[in-house]
Amino acid sequence: MITISGIKRILPHRYPMLLVDRVDELVPGERLTARKAVTANEPWYRELSAGATDEQHAYPPVLLVESWCQAAGVLAAWDTPNPDVLAGQVMLFGSISEVVFHRPVLPGDVLEHRIRLVRALSDTVIFEGEALVDGEPVLEVGRVVMAMRPATELTEAAAGHVVADQAVAAARAVVTDRAVATN
Amino acid sequence: MPVRAAGPVQGTPKVLANGPDLVAVEVTVEPGEQVFPGHYPGFPIFPGVCVVEYVHLGALATAPAPGLRLEAIESTRFLSPVFPGDRLVVELDWQRKGGSWRCKATAGTGRGRAAAVRLRFAEGSAR
Repeated sequence: MITISGIKRILPHRYPMLLVDRVDELVPGERLTARKAVTANEPWYRELSAGATDEQHAYPPVLLVESWCQAAGVLAAWDTPNPDVLAGQVMLFGSISEVVFHRPVLPGDVLEHRIRLVRALSDTVIFEGEALVDGEPVLEVGRVVMAMRPATELTEAAAGHVVADQAVAAARAVVTDRAVATN
Repeated sequence: MPVRAAGPVQGTPKVLANGPDLVAVEVTVEPGEQVFPGHYPGFPIFPGVCVVEYVHLGALATAPAPGLRLEAIESTRFLSPVFPGDRLVVELDWQRKGGSWRCKATAGTGRGRAAAVRLRFAEGSAR
């Protein structure tokens, strides 16, 4: 079992975006089972209106995916932990596909993520699996491709980010022009 | 617009066009978005799933039928990172497929495409 302090030695994610609470089983290079407890105290619920329904309290689907992918990240990186995104090799999600959502997940539910490693190449790992609540599937994940890349790819992109402001304006102008032409 | 459900992003996409030839929304990823302190400390990068969430919200804002509910992420490819202050422009293409709706979208910043996303929505609120 890996408890929260161990997870924080492996993943760079922190509150409010650390979405794995505990790893129950880890078979290196093969599979992992982890859990995440959903509570009404997560910040995603802060701005809900007073009369919000259960449906509006459904855990955001994209965060179910994020939580699952973080669990996959633990399986990918447990033996080469790097909780620093500014140095060494960092995990980047290249693609996510065939993700199906079943019943909504509500505060009080405990997600059980099941991750299976399908294939590992030198710098790319492919996963599949599902998430269950009380033994019932709430999420199916067909394929997640994770790439290990030098941190400089990210830091260089961030450096170029400021330069790109003018290009942003240009891209927006193109779409706005087309919108005007369409309407 | 119906009351918004819980979600990780705090901006509201603005519809730039919702016509037969072009459907597009834009939103600025404000530096104050609540996810940044944890993703990552000292080096804020907008999480890929939050880009997908803005595509999701843009899809709901331009939905061709009422009451659509996200049923599947058929695919998403992350092409370049999104940083605080970036303006995201999302172009969407809706198609009916049997009892579902498919929404193909690309999200871009000034540096080029950030993500290519295909979502599937179910009609009605049946669960």
